[in-house]
Amino acid sequence: MSDLDLDFDADELAMLRQLFRTEAQEALESVTTRVLAGGTAKPSSEALTEMMRVTHTLKGAAGTVGLHTMVDLSHRLESALASFGREPSPWTPATADLLVEVTDALRGYLDQAGEPASEAVADKIRDQIDQIARPDRRPESLPPRFVEPPPETVLEPIADGAPVPETKSYLRVEPERIDELMSSAGELLFDRTRIERRVQLLRTLARDLARTRQNLHDALDTEGTPSRAALGEAESELAGQAALLSQTTAALLDEIEALRRTIGDLQKGLTRMRMDSARNLFLHAARTLRALRRATGVHVELKTIGEDTEFDKAVAEQLVDPITQLLRNAVAHGVEPPEERAAKGKPASATVTIRARQDGNLLVLEVSDDGRGIDTAALRERLVSAGHWSATRAQLADDGEILDALLGTGVSVRGDADELAGRGIGIGLVRQTVAKLGGEVKVSSNPGRGTTFSLRLPLSTALAQAMLFKVGGQVYAIPNVHVIDTTLVDASATTATVRHEQLPVVRLEALLGHGTAAERRPGVVVSFAGKNLVCTVDKIVGPREIIIKPLGPLLAPLTLYAGATISGSGKVQLILDPAHLVRSAYPDAPDAAITDAVSAPMVLAGRALVIDDSRAIREAMTSMLGREGWIVDVAEDGARALQMTRQLRYDLIVTDLEMPELGGFDLIVHLRKDERFKTTPIVIITSRANPEHRRRARDLGVRALVAKPITRRKLLEALATR
Amino acid sequence: MAELRNVIVFTIGATRYAVELRWVREVVSLGFVTGVPTAPVALGGVCNLHGQILPVLDVSAVLGHPPGPPARQGDGALVLETEGVVCALRVDQVDHVASLHESGGEIIDAGGRTLTLLDPAMIVRIALEMITAVGAGEPAA
Repeated sequence: MSDLDLDFDADELAMLRQLFRTEAQEALESVTTRVLAGGTAKPSSEALTEMMRVTHTLKGAAGTVGLHTMVDLSHRLESALASFGREPSPWTPATADLLVEVTDALRGYLDQAGEPASEAVADKIRDQIDQIARPDRRPESLPPRFVEPPPETVLEPIADGAPVPETKSYLRVEPERIDELMSSAGELLFDRTRIERRVQLLRTLARDLARTRQNLHDALDTEGTPSRAALGEAESELAGQAALLSQTTAALLDEIEALRRTIGDLQKGLTRMRMDSARNLFLHAARTLRALRRATGVHVELKTIGEDTEFDKAVAEQLVDPITQLLRNAVAHGVEPPEERAAKGKPASATVTIRARQDGNLLVLEVSDDGRGIDTAALRERLVSAGHWSATRAQLADDGEILDALLGTGVSVRGDADELAGRGIGIGLVRQTVAKLGGEVKVSSNPGRGTTFSLRLPLSTALAQAMLFKVGGQVYAIPNVHVIDTTLVDASATTATVRHEQLPVVRLEALLGHGTAAERRPGVVVSFAGKNLVCTVDKIVGPREIIIKPLGPLLAPLTLYAGATISGSGKVQLILDPAHLVRSAYPDAPDAAITDAVSAPMVLAGRALVIDDSRAIREAMTSMLGREGWIVDVAEDGARALQMTRQLRYDLIVTDLEMPELGGFDLIVHLRKDERFKTTPIVIITSRANPEHRRRARDLGVRALVAKPITRRKLLEALATR
Repeated sequence: MAELRNVIVFTIGATRYAVELRWVREVVSLGFVTGVPTAPVALGGVCNLHGQILPVLDVSAVLGHPPGPPARQGDGALVLETEGVVCALRVDQVDHVASLHESGGEIIDAGGRTLTLLDPAMIVRIALEMITAVGAGEPAA
């Protein structure tokens, strides 16, 4: 176990284990399928061999990711499978079922493998396997037909008087959606590693090219005609480098494409996770209307359309208040008294309809009532008498403009019990909320027939916490994840001490073109990529929840801004990019150090090819070798490896022995026939290190044979072997 | 060779321009205009248009003439969409929409006067170049 701590960091180990679990699930599934295919009959020897190979791979991978109990269990399973092939075979008609139970139990065990509590489960599985292999020893009275599930954890009830946790808003998410995201996130890490590897390769190539150029330069510099030999050598070097360059570029493009796909998956997954259907909003509306009905005695029914429309959960939450307000409005002002309805020949009970639908990227929500509509003539008069509009303007405006004015917060007068005022205040809030979500509200009215408010807003929003502050009369934001504190900065100070640390000061008023201020001012402490700084501002507004909007292609070149947000009053506020601020504060730091503070320089050892049919092992080896300065390519079997070696030269080959297609020894035999790989160091990683294998390896000039599980120490020893 | 063009004719300062209708998404009265420090003067600011960020351009500055007055809330603007960019041109007055003859990049109006036919794609390209030029660097102190 302790070796593992050296081999991988915690994140990496967690990721490799996750990868192993997925791989193992598939492997065990394939065993189950093969067993089931044969009914109760003993599987053919080919099927048995294949099952053993799969189990064997499992064992090696489990060891590499430090799941030792799993190593033991797969070892036992492999031995059991092997015993079926021997005579006399312990296979009985009941074995198939038992075998399926074992693989199922193993699959269940995988999720908890590595946790201390799982040992009891492992013991049960171990007994089960042993009994399959030696059915004669199975106690007749107690056939282990199934593995008991681990006891469920019982939640301690909160004792009376215990502090009630603060209510927070949570997203309810199906676990599968999280799993998808986890797997995409893991993939992202692999994508990054692969790209980093290519970049390292390009760096070596640049160095090689410089050397070739120097050789060429030297050859041309000598007196007389340069020798054909020198030129020829340079030419062939160049040819090799050009080939490598074009191959690396192609591979890089593929890898970037893969990265793009992963990011796309991640984005899609995240969006899906945040999606909610209109159903919940409608349920809320129904409750609100029921309460209103009880409170006012107005007969009104709710009709909802489009409950399957999906939109952001955050949007849904924010819409609760506006919808409540609009329903209240409809009941209080829209719906006529029963006698008036009867006189107009309308049904006694009024209807409020909420309709949700998707229009492109927009969510459209319409709330309509079948009441009296809005009297635009009265509204016109009201606008004039309240002094909002001139008489001429009111006269010239069409009904649409008049109704729009209703949405303006200015129309209403607080405390005025007038119908219009009541509407104005509430509807102004509706508009503000919808504007904050990046949408707009329109109202239309059909006198005598009803009023419709339609809300158009984005289906999803990127909500973020941000620190807002003022500079030069405008409000700006910095995402809160990058803000660690606020402080005060002395006039003309170029550094400020925050938490015993001297930090550079970025004068935002100067950066944003408002000249320099001479007094002590507030500062926002920003942290990005491990670098901290203080930005001076005019006034700190405070933390707010904002919706991040992209600036669009035209403004994208302005690296000072990361985006924008829209305030409740509909004003655009710019979001500053902390990366740009860090560059201003640390002008000497190379960009790379800012964008990727963790990547350390590496000494290049050469190019290595790792061949193993387990992806977990390939990635583990890539990580270990990468840390030693190797550029690592991987292949999943010997055939693919052979293909790769035809195109590229490798300075080190690390191969597994048992693989589908072309096995390890066959691959080595092929390689040794190739002039370029006659003496290349080859390391075999295997869990079958028997004397026969060792002899064959020695005969083929294999540098070392390392028994799985691979640890970094074992690998380094193997590489150091001469 | 004169060709008929469906254009919208408008005035900025003392100059009359035309732009083909097919590029014009809407004619709006600008909301609050937020200034964008460090941006070139050709970018008059940004506005909220239906919840999206709308850059407002100063056509005079884009064309290399002295810039017009800063864009303000309530100013008229043409919202153009071209080459995947949506942006607004601040205008002083929208005159009319008409089918007019184009000849060599100029439009002859009903009164026989010539006015400049703006190519939105070109305006966007020049603006983008101007913005890119200041983009990565620090503002002129």
